[in-house]
Amino acid sequence: MNRLNRRDFLKAVTIAAPALALHAPWAHASGKSRVVVVGGGFGGAVAAKYLKMLAPQLDITLVERNKVYVSCPLSNEVISGHGELKDLEIGYDGLQKRGVNVVFDEATAIDATKRTVTLKSGTTLAYDALVLSPGIDFNYAGVEGYTEELANTDLPHAYKAGPQTLMLKKQLEAMPDGGTFVIAVPPGPFRCPPGPYERASQVAAYLKGHGKTKSKVLILDANDSFSKKGLFEQAWKTHYGNMIEWVPGASDGKVVKIDPKTKTAYTNFGEHKADVLNVIPPHHAGSIAKQAGLTNEKGWCPVDMLTMESTVQKNVWVVGDSCVHGELPVYPMPKSAHAAVTQAKVAVGAILARLAGQPAPTPYFVNTCYSIAAPDWGFSVVHVYRVEGGKLIYAQEAGGISVIDTPAITTLRKLEAEYAVGWLKNIMADCFA
Amino acid sequence: MGSRIAMAVLLAGLGTWAHAADSIEALASTCNNCHGVNGVSVGPTMPSIGGLPQAYLTNVMLEWKSGTRFSATMGRLLKSYSDVQIADLAAYFAKQPWVPQAQKIDAARVRLGAQSLKRCEKCHGDDGLPRDGETPPVNGQWAGYLYLESLKYRDDAVGMSNRQMRGAMKKLSDEELRAVSDYYASQK
Repeated sequence: MNRLNRRDFLKAVTIAAPALALHAPWAHASGKSRVVVVGGGFGGAVAAKYLKMLAPQLDITLVERNKVYVSCPLSNEVISGHGELKDLEIGYDGLQKRGVNVVFDEATAIDATKRTVTLKSGTTLAYDALVLSPGIDFNYAGVEGYTEELANTDLPHAYKAGPQTLMLKKQLEAMPDGGTFVIAVPPGPFRCPPGPYERASQVAAYLKGHGKTKSKVLILDANDSFSKKGLFEQAWKTHYGNMIEWVPGASDGKVVKIDPKTKTAYTNFGEHKADVLNVIPPHHAGSIAKQAGLTNEKGWCPVDMLTMESTVQKNVWVVGDSCVHGELPVYPMPKSAHAAVTQAKVAVGAILARLAGQPAPTPYFVNTCYSIAAPDWGFSVVHVYRVEGGKLIYAQEAGGISVIDTPAITTLRKLEAEYAVGWLKNIMADCFA
Repeated sequence: MGSRIAMAVLLAGLGTWAHAADSIEALASTCNNCHGVNGVSVGPTMPSIGGLPQAYLTNVMLEWKSGTRFSATMGRLLKSYSDVQIADLAAYFAKQPWVPQAQKIDAARVRLGAQSLKRCEKCHGDDGLPRDGETPPVNGQWAGYLYLESLKYRDDAVGMSNRQMRGAMKKLSDEELRAVSDYYASQK
């Protein structure tokens, strides 16, 4: 702890001095510091809320394109009919009631020197601190033949929850028994690392529940392993026999091209005819981050591990799916809602400290991510990080996945399936209420 | 001069906020993700933890950390925290108000639950509000969570350490357990 205090103290000296030397950002006309938050998903919403909660005097503006947010977590359960899209929807009135100025618009440019954000409508917002939580955008060119237009019409990726989720659900329902549901998984990192495999499980749950047991779920994967693999494989064997097949990248699993007319997925050496073709295109940080020059060569935003401040631009904090964060390269934080929320809370502490000319507080990062592989069959992965010697490290004595083999398996899996639902209610309230 | 004083005041104000985000509040805010702001859960399968007795919170967290108490998820989180952090978290959440959650529960269920209280009320009270400073209150706790807890005590493979609870839960039928969960959940 002593070492930490000394580090914080040293940081206090180095941060406070230049902050005071510059034009004092909080000393403008209204006497209020202005924080702009771009992106009203889990990360952005919780940042806006906690900033207002901890510092009611601050002027907080949240910029978000859509009036209603749809949670990606638990949206695979909508595809299988085990959940409803309306339960995943939430508006911004909770934040507005708290005094957050919510602007339904789109950020089109960031000027980090002048500290302004320009919106599509033409409005320019000045900030003393900027939180960027733009989520992900897709690189459609990563799969030849796939386009954004196809995603919105015949071939939904459904990797942002909403209308595409319901389109994919309809396609699954229309698939005849004996059909093949193909899920093409992009190279990592992608949001919700267990997402594609949970989706395969939910599709199989639907097929089994509707007596379409001759059907097949084929996962064509660009990667050689996946999140919670042992748990998923156990669930698949227990509930679905051989219905789900996973083809890793090393076995020619990577989809490089599709033919949308025949719904054929092409790998380097093979082709797979699908009845439902669900291509999840490769991701990168939300376009605004890329455009503002905050991304690295891989398309993600590097940040200070302890504060979430961009290492490219001062006074810009990047949280959620768009950042790359954690004990790299082995234990990065997954791109999950839970990770985004803890990152945003750390950024809030760091921003308040910056505005006060103080060192950033000790950060706490955790991730808990549930997957539901069958009715009453859920499991999770936990990540915990802590600061040691001024560096963020993954706490190896903690974290990890749910126990795989245990005599208590029925109770354990039921508990975590139920917890997943309770978790979502709480995290949505933590961010939006 | 005036603006310098104004700035000093502003700085002092912001300093307090920054401090508020430090230490145990910052760590505790990571609990909010699942257990609700200040430990008041709005998710029917997740327990409220704000206002639970400090001794109870300390005990269960230390037992999860050491692995002597079964947990689905919590043990994996707590293994990374020091005993001091755990004690601080317990003190922090114990200080928060206990907020019973209003839940839609049919009156007939409450009456049925009242008839099956015999094995529960000695410790948890007929109002769900024990006064021994150690037993957790269950009034207005989420019915979904209470029922899931009972499943842990009924399953010998889980092996919960509290024998009294194991015995009591096993003597009730599934229907009675659901009814008692509903009964306590309905108490204000």
